[in-house]
Amino acid sequence: MAVTPNILEAAAVTKQFGGLTAVNSVDFVIERGSICSVIGPNGAGKTTFFNMITGVYTPTSGSLFFDGQSIAGLKPDQVTASGIGRTFQNIRLFNNMTALENVLVGMHARLHANLFGILIRSNKVKAEETRARRTALDLLDYVGIGSERANEMSKNLPYGDQRRLEVARALATDPKLLLLDEPTAGMNPQETAVLTKLIRQIRDERNITVLLIEHDMKVVMDISERITVLDRGIKIAEGNPEQVRTNEQVIEAYLGRGAAAHGKGGRRPATSQ
Amino acid sequence: MSNAVKVGLWSGLLGLFIVILFSGRSILMAGIIAGVFAGLLAGARTDGTTMRDGMRDAAIAAGVAGVLLLLSNLIRHLLIDSLVAQTPPSLIDQILVGLLAAAIAVVIGVAFGAAHFLNGRVGLASARVPASSAATWALLGLVIAAYPFLDQAIQLGWIGIVITSLVFILLAMGLNVVVGYAGLLDLGYAAFFAIGAYTVALLSSDHLGGQTGVSIRLSFWLVLWIAAAMAAIFGLILGSPTLPLRGDYLAIVTLGFGEIVPIVFRNLDRLTIKIGDWVLVKNFNLTGGEPGISPIDPPVLPGLNFADRTDQRPWYFLLIAIIILSMILINRLRASRLGRAWMAMREDELAAASMGINIVQTKLLAFSMGAFFSGFGGAFFAAFVSGAFPSSFDFSVSVIVLCMVILGGLGNVTGVIVGGLVIELSDRLFLPQMSLFLQDLAKANPTLEWLQRFDPNLYRFGLFGLVLVMMMQLRPEGLLPNARRRAELHEGDEPAEPVPTATAS
Repeated sequence: MAVTPNILEAAAVTKQFGGLTAVNSVDFVIERGSICSVIGPNGAGKTTFFNMITGVYTPTSGSLFFDGQSIAGLKPDQVTASGIGRTFQNIRLFNNMTALENVLVGMHARLHANLFGILIRSNKVKAEETRARRTALDLLDYVGIGSERANEMSKNLPYGDQRRLEVARALATDPKLLLLDEPTAGMNPQETAVLTKLIRQIRDERNITVLLIEHDMKVVMDISERITVLDRGIKIAEGNPEQVRTNEQVIEAYLGRGAAAHGKGGRRPATSQ
Repeated sequence: MSNAVKVGLWSGLLGLFIVILFSGRSILMAGIIAGVFAGLLAGARTDGTTMRDGMRDAAIAAGVAGVLLLLSNLIRHLLIDSLVAQTPPSLIDQILVGLLAAAIAVVIGVAFGAAHFLNGRVGLASARVPASSAATWALLGLVIAAYPFLDQAIQLGWIGIVITSLVFILLAMGLNVVVGYAGLLDLGYAAFFAIGAYTVALLSSDHLGGQTGVSIRLSFWLVLWIAAAMAAIFGLILGSPTLPLRGDYLAIVTLGFGEIVPIVFRNLDRLTIKIGDWVLVKNFNLTGGEPGISPIDPPVLPGLNFADRTDQRPWYFLLIAIIILSMILINRLRASRLGRAWMAMREDELAAASMGINIVQTKLLAFSMGAFFSGFGGAFFAAFVSGAFPSSFDFSVSVIVLCMVILGGLGNVTGVIVGGLVIELSDRLFLPQMSLFLQDLAKANPTLEWLQRFDPNLYRFGLFGLVLVMMMQLRPEGLLPNARRRAELHEGDEPAEPVPTATAS
């Protein structure tokens, strides 16, 4: 397969809901192996954009290429199978399944047991299942939940661990690109710091490209190599953290026109939640 | 009052109920049933930590039950037998039999109490039975294997009813895959039962051969699988246009299928297929119409005589074998990639899709695998009653099977079996017997004549309804719930316990 320098390329992507244009002709690329963020005030179209990449919505127009293949209009399971893993803004774990089972569900598309093999429990299926469990336990250790808690119901895990479990489950899909929708929302500063470290580790050790939607500017400025700013469905800025931080349009979008005039320089766009 | 005594009282009351209803002949069976109950429950609920504590508690429970049994025999003897004008054996015999039953209850109770503590500690654990309940299962297996011989020995005559009940339990296990695991509400499950039964009826009877001259009378052992496969295929066919629908719509469409299938079988007795002017088939009797297809060849197995329908023990063991096979298959499905996908889909469809699960395909497989097991049920049932009749597959079958799944506890195979036993045995054994019992009383006593107009059989659906409403109010998770469901339904009112490892297998 030809390796393109950009793992994701979106060109003039638009999504309209009736008369409302949630995302308006956005061009967007993610460089392979980078950590990128999409930021913007509430209602900027970030999640809609995310949902188009992950197949929840089909773009009204425009093209989306992942790893050289068009993914516009694919269903969520097809997108996942092609190598994009995701987490959800509001945690959407399988509450009444154990932590281990949650991760195993993430592996669904990477396992090959078919109905017949399952019914006769062939050696191949058994071996695959054993391998999958081992990998899943390793993943639980990797994200810091710990394999000794594998059999706890996911809804009984503390909040921070639930977020981490979502990451583990997304990693289990064996993604090339990992989409994290506000991974640190609701976390305290320590938990946030740990998760930020984990995200960087995922990229460095597993060579997975990461795209974040994040409200916590400290996190965004800390780990992003490239930031895209959306406002009312339009891309208003793009660049490295320093460029975005000082971009007037960005400050204006977050704080309003008056603030932009006063707060030049040191002031960061505030966390809006 | 200690747990053991309480358990003993309940088990004893069950025994008492059986003895009073079925006369003194049933007391030994009542002793066994009470012993199993007392031992299982006392073992499971004992406060003690050693095997001796468990055996002691079980002995207390079974002892209490035994006393009640003895008492019940006396009540039956002194009060009722004289009322219904039977000539009972002497009082001393009754007391001796009562003591024997009590002793049986205690022995069995203690055995189960001990088994509870042996679970997970003896080398009985295999890949099929979870080690955590191996000893209990082994003991239950003994009781199940011994039942038909006992039934025969004391001329109880329950076995036919027990077999029919077990067929329904098999259906409930299959429906549990669809409703309990995958969360798809299927109100037309009887359709697949019918398809399984008619497959056997067509392939191993003289029905087709008699009309076409080409006789295909396949062996039951082959047809059993063909029937299950047919049911699964029809599950796919019926499911593919419906499964993209959600929740309520799916329920309504399956309800429709459940009605359509028996009607189709009822009306395919004068089948004419014309293509243009060319008549392919004219007035062909495919399904036998209202009278159905009968007789059907019994299975043939060296050493067992299925053809002699007065001795139903071979059928009982055949069905037990099919049920065990189905349990193994269902457990394999549950613990597999597919089973996890079903549960994930039930929990959160979008999240499941985002994990790479093809929702429509996974739903179809659940639907089709559920149908597969009812194909087993239909095949056995048709061979057992030696016929397939459209009236055996009406809507009430779908409803009863669904009730069994809900009563027992969605998603838990053991629970579904218990729920099925409770519903089926009350429906087929206890209610009719109660009817007879009341009639006897009324006939023998002019003062009780009003009882003649009261037939509990007529109230069976009313009773179902009542039981379901009470269940939903008091114990919505079912009798023996899946730990997950319980946690789901009692969110907030108790700390949910961690699920015992679903991984050990």
